[in-house]
Amino acid sequence: MPPRRDADFNISDDSEPEDDELDEDYNASRTIRTKGKGKGKGKELGAYAWEASYKRSWDTVQEDEAGSLQAAVQDLVARSKRRRCACSWGDAPIRRTIIRHMMFLVDLSTAMMDRDMRPSRFDLTLSYAREFVSEWFDQNPLGQMGVVGMRNGVGERIGDMSGNPQDVLKCFLDKTLLEPAGEPSLQNSIEMARASMNHLPTHSSREILIIFGSLTTVDPGNLLDTVDACVRDQIRISIVALSAEMKVCRDMCERTGGVFGVALNEGHYKDLLFELVPPPADKSPVSRLAAQAGEGQSELMQMGFPTRLPATAPPSLCVCHSRLRSEGYICPRCNSKVCDVPTDCDICGLMIVSSPHLARSYHHLFPAPAYKAVLELDGKEASACHACSLPFPTTARAPLQTEEGMSPHGRYRCPKCKHDFDAECDLFVHDVLHVCPGCG
Amino acid sequence: MSSPSHLSLILDLTPVPWDALSHSTPPLRLKDFLAQALVFINAHLALRNENSVSVFGALPGRSMILYPPAGSTQVEADENTFHVFGQVDEGFMRSVEQEVEDLQEVEEDVPPALVGALTKSLCYINRLSNPPPPSNPSEAPPPPPHSRILLFSVSPDASVAYIPFMNCIFSAQKLKVAIDVCKLDESEVIFLHQACHLTGGAFVPITQREALLQYLSMCFLSETETRKTLAVPTLDKVDFRAACFCHKEIVDIGYVCSVCLSIFCQPVLECSTCRTKFSPDTLLRFGNMNLNGHAHTHSNGTVTA
Ligand SMILES: [Zn+2]
Ligand SMILES: [Zn+2]
Ligand SMILES: [Zn+2]
Ligand SMILES: [Zn+2]
Ligand SMILES: [Zn+2]
Ligand SMILES: [Zn+2]
Repeated sequence: MPPRRDADFNISDDSEPEDDELDEDYNASRTIRTKGKGKGKGKELGAYAWEASYKRSWDTVQEDEAGSLQAAVQDLVARSKRRRCACSWGDAPIRRTIIRHMMFLVDLSTAMMDRDMRPSRFDLTLSYAREFVSEWFDQNPLGQMGVVGMRNGVGERIGDMSGNPQDVLKCFLDKTLLEPAGEPSLQNSIEMARASMNHLPTHSSREILIIFGSLTTVDPGNLLDTVDACVRDQIRISIVALSAEMKVCRDMCERTGGVFGVALNEGHYKDLLFELVPPPADKSPVSRLAAQAGEGQSELMQMGFPTRLPATAPPSLCVCHSRLRSEGYICPRCNSKVCDVPTDCDICGLMIVSSPHLARSYHHLFPAPAYKAVLELDGKEASACHACSLPFPTTARAPLQTEEGMSPHGRYRCPKCKHDFDAECDLFVHDVLHVCPGCG
Repeated sequence: MSSPSHLSLILDLTPVPWDALSHSTPPLRLKDFLAQALVFINAHLALRNENSVSVFGALPGRSMILYPPAGSTQVEADENTFHVFGQVDEGFMRSVEQEVEDLQEVEEDVPPALVGALTKSLCYINRLSNPPPPSNPSEAPPPPPHSRILLFSVSPDASVAYIPFMNCIFSAQKLKVAIDVCKLDESEVIFLHQACHLTGGAFVPITQREALLQYLSMCFLSETETRKTLAVPTLDKVDFRAACFCHKEIVDIGYVCSVCLSIFCQPVLECSTCRTKFSPDTLLRFGNMNLNGHAHTHSNGTVTA
């Protein structure tokens, strides 16, 4: 498991760990140590963040009656899964910016030829970028993305802002067009990205994502002026660095409300990148939406939900290309046929979208209630999981293995419908389904 | 060799439409339907030794697993096939009878808990596709089955549960589970259409009820892989209308909050989901359209209902 990112943050900050979660971890690990081995080193811990998350896995593993480690290993796996998710499950729906606009800035300098990541930084970046783009459009159905390359001291437009995932994927398909060369220029590239987001409507988010392999940047002017301009334009800058932390990069992200991370290895690189897929929670002080909500500037959009004609329908002319085709979508207002959605109807101007596209993002708005771990039984519980009907374990795990958020009985209870679920279904409900089987 | 398949049946057991069905011409009584469904289940089990089945029921306001009996350990599919037939027949019929008997006190106009049944079915399938590692590491784990869901619908779409229902569809897509729908009555279903379309399942309205078993075995017995080479009826048109968040009404032109994408059937001053206040200009812009838009939805509603 790669070290947690909060940990790297604190390494360079040299400050006390302030994160509550770290403190919890630290306390938990301390109790386990003092209980388990009684070494009493508790007071020396906690000065550095990386010590806090350090835990000897063999201290917590216990054999079952048959002397097998099976159960213990499964338990550890479940626990790590749960810890990963627990931070993202909230009770209250957070407001998020769902119509997103992102400029994807990729470092194409010679630093990307480095082979410290396999097969090389460049190849790995291309393949991750392709995965990232598909996943991003999956979760941000109405989003738009553009691509800029950084090489030879200039920003190079690779793909214009587009809402079609295929267009964006095409940018990363041909390796030969992206061959790394020269030095990158952060300022030139950010200015280019900023310019292409100037015209955007007020209700969308503006984001810049930078994958940065180099440790230098060749700029024509003062990079900090550009950052000031981004703060003014409420553009959120996030950076995934592949080499090491640069102060200017971290500052840039912090000032614009973005995220900064340094990739430690291939897996960690992917984690950092994919954390940027879900819509950002709207909490930062520079958020334009929060500001707008106060001023009453947000917009209501009129949208039409079409009827889709199958390939077996009698062919007719479409209004967008005047081509004779069977498939198509019927505008609900004027009944004309368009080839593809989302689009604006060429006849009446209505924005036509397929409603499942919108619905994909609703689980962000109405998340399933977070289940609480059941710590004590009162003898009246159901014997089987309410979702999958598999029986719960009858014997509780040893108290040593209990930890924040883990139930010794493997039961997790919905605060609304009061039904019990097992760990596997708890994960599935909150990760994938987003509907509580008891409440639904 | 292909992997075994799991079939998850969801039965809409709402009493009112079943009563109507048993008095329609030709009549289809619940008992006859269950008998034909059983033949279909047995046919599925007989296709391959490792095939398995689960049955979920949706009643007004609640949903439950009908087979395998709740709390039992995973169904062992490698037993004698005839034994499995017997188990399914008995267990399934008994639990349906039990549930229908328990039903008497329930209010009549509550929509069936289809979402509950769907989520339970998906959780069950998720458990099947991620089996716990075998206790003996040297044994290769059995391949996870291909799963599909067959939903028997007798009532109109309950738009009340639009969002949870869509979430179920997306989860089925993620699990690569096709949702087939067998429509036994004539009521309008929009979201079930979308479910079949999005998951690649078949939507078959039963026009001749006396031939139900024929429909079942011709359209739904083949697994999704085999269907590529067969001509399983697909959807004619897919209606992408959605339900508004304010009245749960089905709309073809909606007003969408630009912050959270909530859908409203008419212009509103404030988004009820995210509390965003909309600018007065926007409302003015829709001012004259408001009447048109409203008349439109209304006429549409009466035509289609
Ligand atoms: Zn066209
Ligand atoms: Zn139109
Ligand atoms: Zn479960
Ligand atoms: Zn619940
Ligand atoms: Zn409404
Ligand atoms: Zn809203």
